[in-house]
Amino acid sequence: MNASGAFRERLFESWIELRANPGRSFLQALGVMLGVASVLGGFSISDSQRQQAERLFARLGGIDKLNVLPADTVYQGTPSALRSANLGLRLEDAVEGGNMASAKAVDGTSVVKQARARVRSEFADQERDVNGIGADYIPLNGYEIEQGRGFSAHELATGAPVAVLGAEAAGVFFPTGEILGKPLRIGDVPVTVIGVFEEKSFHFQEGQQNVFAWRNKIVAVPSRLIAARMEGDAYNRVDRVTFRIPNLEAMADFSRELTSLVGANHRLQQDFRLDDVYKRQERQRSQGDVYNIIFMLSGVLALIGGGMVNVNIQLASLKERVREVGVKMAIGATGGEIFKTFMTEALLLTLLGSAAGYAVGIAFSWVITRSIGVPLSIAPMSFLWATLLALVFGFLFALYPAAKASRQSPMEALRYE
Amino acid sequence: MRIIETRGLEKVYGSSNNAVHALRGVDLNIESGEFVALIGPSGSGKSTLMSILGCLDVPTGGTYALDGRQVEGLTGADLAAIRNEKIGFIFQQYNLLPKATILRNVELPMLYAGVPRRERRERALDLLARVGIPDKAGVLPGQLSGGQRQRVAIARALANRPALLLADEPTGALDTKTGEEVLALFRELHAQGNTVVLVTHDPGIAARAERRVELRDGLLLRDWKEEAA
Repeated sequence: MNASGAFRERLFESWIELRANPGRSFLQALGVMLGVASVLGGFSISDSQRQQAERLFARLGGIDKLNVLPADTVYQGTPSALRSANLGLRLEDAVEGGNMASAKAVDGTSVVKQARARVRSEFADQERDVNGIGADYIPLNGYEIEQGRGFSAHELATGAPVAVLGAEAAGVFFPTGEILGKPLRIGDVPVTVIGVFEEKSFHFQEGQQNVFAWRNKIVAVPSRLIAARMEGDAYNRVDRVTFRIPNLEAMADFSRELTSLVGANHRLQQDFRLDDVYKRQERQRSQGDVYNIIFMLSGVLALIGGGMVNVNIQLASLKERVREVGVKMAIGATGGEIFKTFMTEALLLTLLGSAAGYAVGIAFSWVITRSIGVPLSIAPMSFLWATLLALVFGFLFALYPAAKASRQSPMEALRYE
Repeated sequence: MRIIETRGLEKVYGSSNNAVHALRGVDLNIESGEFVALIGPSGSGKSTLMSILGCLDVPTGGTYALDGRQVEGLTGADLAAIRNEKIGFIFQQYNLLPKATILRNVELPMLYAGVPRRERRERALDLLARVGIPDKAGVLPGQLSGGQRQRVAIARALANRPALLLADEPTGALDTKTGEEVLALFRELHAQGNTVVLVTHDPGIAARAERRVELRDGLLLRDWKEEAA
């Protein structure tokens, strides 16, 4: 008989045994079930949270970005003369950065310059944050145009007096809905509205506030407009430069070259810092891994507890089964065959317990994620891990009873009363 | 052809201080096709002899050849293979597997021997018909009477066409009438050419065999042939 046929027969044999002892089998599978459910449930809860965070970053325009931000140049009260003479982060830094040798990997660049200004339309008059934006800001930050258009390259380069509004800002300043081509006054500068961004919303948990609310309040103009007309800044200082680098391996080279370039531009003063969004995400993710390890550990403990119960039940039931083992040996079963039969039984129990554990684990994490209002997501790897752990422990704890059963002398086993 | 040949067979239980000599040197030859009754009171060593003849246990001294093969010094797995291929056991308490169907009980020795599924099934059904219970294949042992269970045990013993049928008090748990029927079945199997060794303490039952071997205190006391009753 081939090996698979023999295995099938043993599986059938085990099934007969389990079916004949439903109470015992249930108790044995219970430990496996709890272990699998706890691993799966724990994994899927941390997975669901993580997925939600990844969704947020996807909506923010991806995590493959490197930010250059101004850093505080004042240490212990007084800045040095060199530091105060510095211009800070400029549009020039972004342009030169985009021209470096390692900038081949750069897929898009964006700059932001922020200002606070009085914004007036014929309907409203409010103090608002105004974002001066440049280059690929709109796609890089996950914005989409709903009405009208974005800024043309020419408008960005010349600092044309045009504005694009977020959905909330559009509603406040133009409640009638007629908006394109309308005048708006930002500070003392009259601009024309040329577009409206699509409304953005993201809730970490159901019922919580929209974490993207601020994005709907945006009033965007070309950064040069702020520099030239509002601040009279001839150096085109900006508050943030962002490079998108889809090839994350190129990130390290690029950051190194960029650090030395911007450092040279800034007279070797560390008045800027680099923020690698992907690495920041990775760090958060590895914190999530700690939770995963804790969940896995609790699952392992459940499996060990269940496994020890199993050993006891198996050893106790072995007494009832000694004679049966003796009969099987008398009609030709080898010790190895008996061993394999017991192990197959453990395998079947583990698989059945795992299947029940899937159901319980999914139900458990559904309830938890539901109560915190995060959509449930379970990675296929979680099932694999849970099953793998259950199999390892199921196997380990089955070894002793199986070995004990298989080492009996057939004659003594037959005479056992 | 000689099925069983033992020379100076000895079996000692326990350590040297309080050793029990169950067999003290048994020479026994059984030819193919014989129907032998092994008799003796309890404590005579007949159960020990039967265990050794059945390869369930190994002797501590002497030699034993079964169907031309020396048995002493074989490993557990080899002994299991010999039990599987060459010996069919029938026990007083039937020893059927209670959770498996009758069909599976009969199939089990063939399963261990690696007989393909289809053939296993055909042979098992054939054997059940042969022992007179063709319609019980699907039921569990618990649903059968004692006599029927013993018939299943006989079918199982015959499954791998063994060289030797070893029956240990096969009628001990049956009433007289059913016991008679089972004995008749043994006679029939013998008539078909099977070698049968029947262990019993009951001289009435031993009288059904053509040859009787009597054991006393671990030694052969008598070995005689007589027309079966």
